[in-house]
Amino acid sequence: MSPLPQILLDGLFAGGAYALMAAGMALILGVVKVINLSHGAFFSLGAYVAYAMAARGVAGPAAAVPAAAIAFAFGVFLGKSFVNPARSHPFALPVGTLACALLFEQAAQLAWGPHPLAVDGGVPWAGPLGVAVRRWGAVAFLASAALLGGLKLLLSSRPGLPLKLVAEDEEIAASVGMDVEAVRYLTFGGACAMAAAAGALLAPAGAITPTMGRLPLVLSLIVVIVAGMESVGAVFLLSIALGILGNVCAFYLSPQWSYVALLCVVALLLAARPAGIVTVAGRRD
Amino acid sequence: MFRGGWLAAGIGLLLLFPLLSPDAYLLDVLTTGFLLASFAASWDVVGGVAGQVTLGHALPFGAATYACALLSRLAGWPFPLAAAAAVPVAAAAGAGVGLLAAPLSGPFVALLTLALAEAAHEVAAGHAFLSGPGGYAWGGEGGIPVALPWVDAPPFASYYAALGFLCLTTWAMLRFSRSGTGLILRAIAGSPLTAQASGVPIVRYKLLAFSVGSAFAGAAGAGFAAHVGRATAGDLSLELSFQAATAAAVGGRGTVVGPVVAALAFHALLQGLSLPPAVRVMAYASILMVTLRFFPGGVAGTVREIAARLRVREGSRRSRGRRDRVGP
Repeated sequence: MSPLPQILLDGLFAGGAYALMAAGMALILGVVKVINLSHGAFFSLGAYVAYAMAARGVAGPAAAVPAAAIAFAFGVFLGKSFVNPARSHPFALPVGTLACALLFEQAAQLAWGPHPLAVDGGVPWAGPLGVAVRRWGAVAFLASAALLGGLKLLLSSRPGLPLKLVAEDEEIAASVGMDVEAVRYLTFGGACAMAAAAGALLAPAGAITPTMGRLPLVLSLIVVIVAGMESVGAVFLLSIALGILGNVCAFYLSPQWSYVALLCVVALLLAARPAGIVTVAGRRD
Repeated sequence: MFRGGWLAAGIGLLLLFPLLSPDAYLLDVLTTGFLLASFAASWDVVGGVAGQVTLGHALPFGAATYACALLSRLAGWPFPLAAAAAVPVAAAAGAGVGLLAAPLSGPFVALLTLALAEAAHEVAAGHAFLSGPGGYAWGGEGGIPVALPWVDAPPFASYYAALGFLCLTTWAMLRFSRSGTGLILRAIAGSPLTAQASGVPIVRYKLLAFSVGSAFAGAAGAGFAAHVGRATAGDLSLELSFQAATAAAVGGRGTVVGPVVAALAFHALLQGLSLPPAVRVMAYASILMVTLRFFPGGVAGTVREIAARLRVREGSRRSRGRRDRVGP
């Protein structure tokens, strides 16, 4: 039996959850206009929360709720106290958010140890062609798709207007009475919560390590470079394609090669499309 | 900040130090600190003087340590020759990165350099090189030992050699950053558009900045290989690039000497207290975030901004005084 259908299905499930994280990053890029290199840390935070919950008997996707709440709190703090004041300085943002990611990685190593942890995903269903349909995978995919649908609905309705207006022109948004700073840090917190929810949903997929967030971070970077903020559908499809690519590399080569492959894709994309991929804040300094 | 004799006094203290304290551990910490301080200064040539914020500066450093290890151990070259070859290898690696990064601007330079260095780190961590005679596998996380002509270098000798290396490379980088080329690089860092409008071929100069900074990083890497005696995947790690960026941000980007002092102080403090590596990286990250929060343009940039504002206020007060005197 060919292992290909199994790899494709697992890649599809993982890619769906990565889309949730990538959509968060796209939202930050669109509304706050910064590149958040600490996004991967929030993904690992979600996975560690899922691990801690599973150890206390709460297994499954329910862990995504507390993970999202914790990440939202930290995200709002980071957005309010660091990203908002420093966002106009092109040096401060990438280096500072990277500092935040390294801080989390080392804190996780102190708290949970450097060795990989695992969450039990339960017995898979037997599908056609001898494919094992992993329950957590199906749940992660469906939950992410539902949340992304909700995001699309939000962006096209009245309550989502402040997000779009701040993304479009912050001065006009301020002049019609919107609290631009609040929109920014709430968006930042919400996007971090999306990353943590994705991490919690994907926790049974593999080993939970302090640096596990780096691969989804790079994947999200590729997605936002190509798809931008506007189209949630494009983010979703692209994330699935990259999730499948990563899974194929992991199976046929070795897990670390999927990370190298994604890094090479990012480097090639930047080299091929150097000018004006997306507008980013920061013309001072 | 470092005007006058303070720098000379600092060097004098460092020269005197081994004669006061025979503690081999502290000497070893400072020897490593000198090499990492030189590395931080080389970051500043690219990230401060030329303004190309790189988060993958460990790539030329690690390329040099691996070149030293592979050439001396597998190809059997004598170590001085391998070290001399490692510098152009690092410069070439930097030129390659610069070629891709030169057309980019702002945070995309950081993303690209980070991606390339991380890819190199993963390859180095996962790849095992085979040694010739014994068939014994080197590489991976354990790294590759460097074939050194000495067995156990006396700590005094290493200390003074590294201090001399630091002084020499810092002087050379300072000369470079204050030369005509350095001035053009500062113009590009200030405003690429203005520099381009003044007829500067900015892509070529960015490439030059990457090559020169990487050559100095490679020299520091060769020194590191000679001191530690092993090339490991950690030499290519994100944490190493990040430490250099932290030292530069705190010491003052574009000043060259500031990053050297900051890197040396951080390394001596954090390593001298013998903290575990995780706590050390956390300390670096916290220092950096607090610094960037209150001095988003870097400490030197913000101090310069405040000084300029004070000077303007002083100037307007003086001119107002003059007007008063001229008046009736």
